[in-house]
Amino acid sequence: MRNRSLTTLLIGAIFLGGCEAPTVPNYNNPSIEDLQSNPTRTGVLTAATGLLVGARNNIASANAYVSLLGILGRESYNFDSAEPRFITEMLIGPMTSGGAFGGNLWTLRYRNIRNANILMGALDQVTGISAAEEQAIRGFAKTMQAHDFLLIINTRHENGAVLDVDRTLDEMNESPAPFVGREEVLSHVSGLLDEAQGHLQQGGASFPFPLSSGFSDFNTPATFLRFNRALKARVEVYRENYAAALTALQGSFLDTSAPLDLGAYHTYASGSGETQNTLSASTIRAHPSVVSDAQSRPGGAVDLRVQEKVTDLDARSQLGLSSSVGFDVYPAADSPVPIITNEELILLRSEARWFTSDMDGATSDLNLIRTRAGGLDEIERPASTAEYVSALLRERRYSLLFEGHRWIDLRRFDRLGELPLDLPTHTVQTSFPIPEAECLARGIDGECGAT
Amino acid sequence: MRIPMLYTLLLLTLVAFPLGAQQREVQGVVRSGETGAPVMSASVSVVGTTLGTLTNASGGFTVSVPDGATTIRVSQIGFQTQVVPIPAGAGAINVSLEQDVLNLDAVVVTGQATTVARRNLANAVSSVTGDALVPVSAQTVESALQGKIAGANIQSNSGAPGGGMQIDLRGVSSINAASQPLWVIDGVVVSNVAIPSNANAITGAASGSNPSLQQDAPVNRIADLNPSDIERIEVLKGASASAIYGSQASGGVIIVTTKRGTGGTARFNVTQRLGYSELRDQIGSRQFTRAEAAAAYALGPAALDRYFDSGGAPLQATNFEELLAGERNVASETVLSVNGGNEDTRYYLSGLLLNEPGIIDNTGYEKQSLRLNLDQRLGDRINVGVNASMIHSVASRGLSNNDNTGRSYYVALSSTPSFVDLRPAQDGTYPINPFSNSNPLQTAELLENDEDVWRFISGVNANFDLLGSGSETHSLNFQTNFGADYFTQKNSLFAPPELQFEQPGFDSNNDRGTSLLSTSGNLNLNGNANLIHSFAPSAGMTATTSGGLQYVDQDLNISRIAGENLIGGQRHVDAATSVQVQQRRQRVQTLGLYLQEELLLLDERMLLTGSVRADRSTANAAPADFFFYPKASASYRIPELGTALDELKFRVAYGESGNQPLFGQKFTALEATNNIQGLPALVILGRAGALDLRPERTREIEGGFDAILFEGNANLEFTVYQQNITDLLLERTVAPSTGYSFEFFNGGELRSRGLELALQANPLRSSGFSWISRATFSTNESTIVDLPVPSFRTGGFATSLGAFQIEEGASATQIVGHNGRNAEGDIIIEKLGDANPDFKVGFSNDLTFGDFNLYGLLDWQKGGTVINLTKLLYDLGQVSPDFALPEGVSASRTVPECHPDCSGLERLGGFGTYTQQYLEDASFIKLRELTLSYLVPTGVVGFLGSVENARISLSGRNLFSIDDYDGLDPEVSNFGNQQIARNIDVAPYPPSRTFWLSLSLGF
Repeated sequence: MRNRSLTTLLIGAIFLGGCEAPTVPNYNNPSIEDLQSNPTRTGVLTAATGLLVGARNNIASANAYVSLLGILGRESYNFDSAEPRFITEMLIGPMTSGGAFGGNLWTLRYRNIRNANILMGALDQVTGISAAEEQAIRGFAKTMQAHDFLLIINTRHENGAVLDVDRTLDEMNESPAPFVGREEVLSHVSGLLDEAQGHLQQGGASFPFPLSSGFSDFNTPATFLRFNRALKARVEVYRENYAAALTALQGSFLDTSAPLDLGAYHTYASGSGETQNTLSASTIRAHPSVVSDAQSRPGGAVDLRVQEKVTDLDARSQLGLSSSVGFDVYPAADSPVPIITNEELILLRSEARWFTSDMDGATSDLNLIRTRAGGLDEIERPASTAEYVSALLRERRYSLLFEGHRWIDLRRFDRLGELPLDLPTHTVQTSFPIPEAECLARGIDGECGAT
Repeated sequence: MRIPMLYTLLLLTLVAFPLGAQQREVQGVVRSGETGAPVMSASVSVVGTTLGTLTNASGGFTVSVPDGATTIRVSQIGFQTQVVPIPAGAGAINVSLEQDVLNLDAVVVTGQATTVARRNLANAVSSVTGDALVPVSAQTVESALQGKIAGANIQSNSGAPGGGMQIDLRGVSSINAASQPLWVIDGVVVSNVAIPSNANAITGAASGSNPSLQQDAPVNRIADLNPSDIERIEVLKGASASAIYGSQASGGVIIVTTKRGTGGTARFNVTQRLGYSELRDQIGSRQFTRAEAAAAYALGPAALDRYFDSGGAPLQATNFEELLAGERNVASETVLSVNGGNEDTRYYLSGLLLNEPGIIDNTGYEKQSLRLNLDQRLGDRINVGVNASMIHSVASRGLSNNDNTGRSYYVALSSTPSFVDLRPAQDGTYPINPFSNSNPLQTAELLENDEDVWRFISGVNANFDLLGSGSETHSLNFQTNFGADYFTQKNSLFAPPELQFEQPGFDSNNDRGTSLLSTSGNLNLNGNANLIHSFAPSAGMTATTSGGLQYVDQDLNISRIAGENLIGGQRHVDAATSVQVQQRRQRVQTLGLYLQEELLLLDERMLLTGSVRADRSTANAAPADFFFYPKASASYRIPELGTALDELKFRVAYGESGNQPLFGQKFTALEATNNIQGLPALVILGRAGALDLRPERTREIEGGFDAILFEGNANLEFTVYQQNITDLLLERTVAPSTGYSFEFFNGGELRSRGLELALQANPLRSSGFSWISRATFSTNESTIVDLPVPSFRTGGFATSLGAFQIEEGASATQIVGHNGRNAEGDIIIEKLGDANPDFKVGFSNDLTFGDFNLYGLLDWQKGGTVINLTKLLYDLGQVSPDFALPEGVSASRTVPECHPDCSGLERLGGFGTYTQQYLEDASFIKLRELTLSYLVPTGVVGFLGSVENARISLSGRNLFSIDDYDGLDPEVSNFGNQQIARNIDVAPYPPSRTFWLSLSLGF
């Protein structure tokens, strides 16, 4: 039996002596710990550019912001024979909080908010970045974060959102952030934009990191601040703080003599590692009312904006719906998607002017858009606010066509009822539900939210 | 390396062993009792000692035996073991072995270096030997195993040529971690990874609500094996048997032993087969009237006139399935082997040429394989073996499964009405399909999707008999095995610009032409070293101690290039204006140490086994920590119980095994693959890792009895088992407002219980007639006993489409769906089905009358649910054959009113509110194998030379399926190999039946 005890000894020896335990690194991706606890200048700057990548996610594909809001606002359809839920959830409803539709447009926005928080956390640690550079990055990060929060509350509306997310995953698991209502979220967005303004003003002459061509007119702290103010103006109009909106517009890039498409854009491309704009998918169609509701130019031709943005296609149909028109707004995989443009700023100014009793100014802004963008005749000053709102919404509809505004605009003025319902089974939905996972994390099996 | 040094040390101590008493030599010859032919490589061992030898090519042997009377035991696979007394003074002995038709005397490989006689085995280990494995040509080894193993659910994922099959041993073993069994071929752990082809870049399947790339219909790489090289397969079905393989063994272990040379003059075996495959089932398509077409597609009179005559009848009604999948091209298979050698050198050399065209144009499977297994004796005490195999396969898989772009064959068919003509014009150009993004007939002709694999599996093994015949009561062997499994898989997909879906208006980016090139390289390096000590102090008792280590390094590197908009239609990806590249690498290194004791006691009636294995792996969050997997088992056999009952054995076994986290699950990482306009960008990933991630743990207890009946002419194995799987690798959904979607953690418990029966009988055996019958029965059910997270869905697309929901107290494979609305108007989501079948039965019969042999194998699955989303697609396209309301029904009924006889219109009307109309029974009875063969008198083929035997046969695989399934085949999985989320039918490659005519010659 002697060799048996030897075998045992042998095994024991291997245990005790132990070969060096091998480790295999993550070959595919860098570790997050490096950026959090041991950041380098390069890492921080790359993470800053990363916010532009995070921001363009979940915007320009069939099941993303522009397309889903387009469907809700009866601007577009997506006739995907393999995915009827573009109709059953979005048009018939209700959206389900656990699904890929009702539960969408949330996580990726919060992911970019965390990206910004990780970036700002790294700024506290990093060496080799000057004070001005740090301010510039903070101003950029907070502006981008504000925009992400704005898109969240745009979709969730009265269901609210959560704000207190700058904590570790463990802390968040322990006590999830509370829901707050729409007003508070918009107030937070407004506040973030103001904080960002302060940072940008101390941000020196240039950004230490490169921005995409979508920000070519806003690629220094000073010019980026104009983009920041433009967002601020939109938020204040949403909050009906029209005076504050007019102030913000003064700091923005609003310029009636500049091209209407001057603005900030998400850029897309088909190169490797890039995100493509897939809104040109043949399944995506325009709602027929986009054409039938359009006004005519003098001489009878249709609104220039319709002529430019809508195109005839062969008929496509699904579940009782049909359309033979599509969009030309994003013709290719590298078509940019506007974040905010001069054209919207002029319309925001019109709205802010009307509600601060500058009716003539409001009308002249509207007419500026009507003539320049639509080639249409000018209108008389509307006789009532209701009439003005109708006129404003018409111009916003065509100027911001298929950019994710129509549904929000009608909702702001409580006019969702004006949306054309194609079939009796269709309904108008006012908000996306809070995603199921967000409720389950709070132990709520069902609907949850601010109310 | 310090390990060899330790062994050297150990070797030096061996001189202290007591040498044996006085010995003499006995010579003899072993022959077959039936034919009188010499039996080669039979094991001759002296009972009560560790002395023994093997017979040579002419059946002869010389063995040292102790002085005085003694007994020897002679055994060989395929023969009944014979115990022969040798009187004192006898110097020569002849032994005659009877056939062991039912393999009752087989020896079963149970561990890394040890075997156990089946008679004593304490686990229900299923074995399939080469002859029974491929009576009918099989493309892959898994298809050859279907219906033959109790407790294994072996399912094809689709009908696509070249494989893609899953094996579930004893039900669900994991929710998120690996679930397929570990494959060990001649001691080498080989890769069975399923690498997606990247067809997703064409189909956009993963762009929908389920991002799984496994929708590309990937082939799991065990398909590469040449089934005819396999001597036998042993299946360790659960942890109680597989514990010795540690943290990679929760899905069971399949041990493959390839054929080896038996020595003697060279013997050639050639089999030439010719055959063909044909479409086995069709969905059918709606036959429209003019009025129906007008209503369905809003067609104007001009368009209608193109499709319908004035009487309203369609001008033509095309059977697209017949046009698409109606190919019947000649398939051929050539199998050649040479076997021979001498006293010291034995070899087995084989080659395979297989060419099986698919039933769809441009699809099919080709395989070429070469193998050399060489055994060399180096002196008395050292045996060295070399296995070298080289395999090349090309699987042309076509375009099937889920698709969000209207491009895969059946997705296109699902929206194409039968009145349109898609056939090519005289000049070969295809018409545009106005009802879909693609013309499937054109896609079949022009699209290429080839998977080209070169694979080398090779190993060296050596056995050192450290004591030789120096001791009668002790033997000590050092066994070691080093091997490598290397393959490159090249996936090349080409969608030329001529395809409809690549043309403007159909391609979303107006990119013309797509070329995809993916290259995957995999290297598994294996090494193991074992020391086996046997101690036989007296007759009927043996103690075997073994210990050793096993090291496995698995390294997989995948790179994918997707090129779109091909300049001049050039196939090279550098001719594309839009290029996407991706690289993924995963590597896991595992070190295992084990110690095992087997005690054969009480006149070899009782076997006690105990072992422990310790594993550490780089897949675990703590790569230096060892995890321990113990095992204990006992069996006791009671011989000679009566006239009918020869022997009864009771057995019980307990064991634990593990299931490692998948590579990368432990990391929280940044995503470094993004850029915006060439500017590098870092963002976080949606998944957070865990700092304490460890393997799942399976604890299994099994028990049962084996009975040998009617003088060895029948045997019955009965087994029940229970597995409790804890520390499940679960995804915990975190509040998405954290920016993360989920994190991994260990928790929860899954229980799997089941029963297995295997019955074999040889009721008739005479010189002219023999009948062997085999049946297996197995049933299994799983329950989520504990779930520390809210119930979650783990497969499928959405609850409205039928989804798999993991829920405490429920079956792991339950399918939930929508079932109307409650009083508040909310959708009711509840269990509507279960993918797991109620039971499976395999039943084969082998009849020999004279020179004729007839064999058939039925595979019966009862129960289980399939989510038939192909049916939904057909309904959405309004082309289901039963779309219109049935006669006598004037208005649409609700789904509960009409189910299961709803028309497509009614099914669609209930879609969103109800799911059950798209759930179907997965029951089937399939004739897996059928063969009729005739042993040709050698005189007839004498002109070919000295032919020893010649056999001609007609055979078929999957000849028919009896099922009520409306889709193509209830044996289907859109998501590839999935223990839970299987049985989802989304436009699969259609199933086929295959016929073969074969001629086998031995000379």
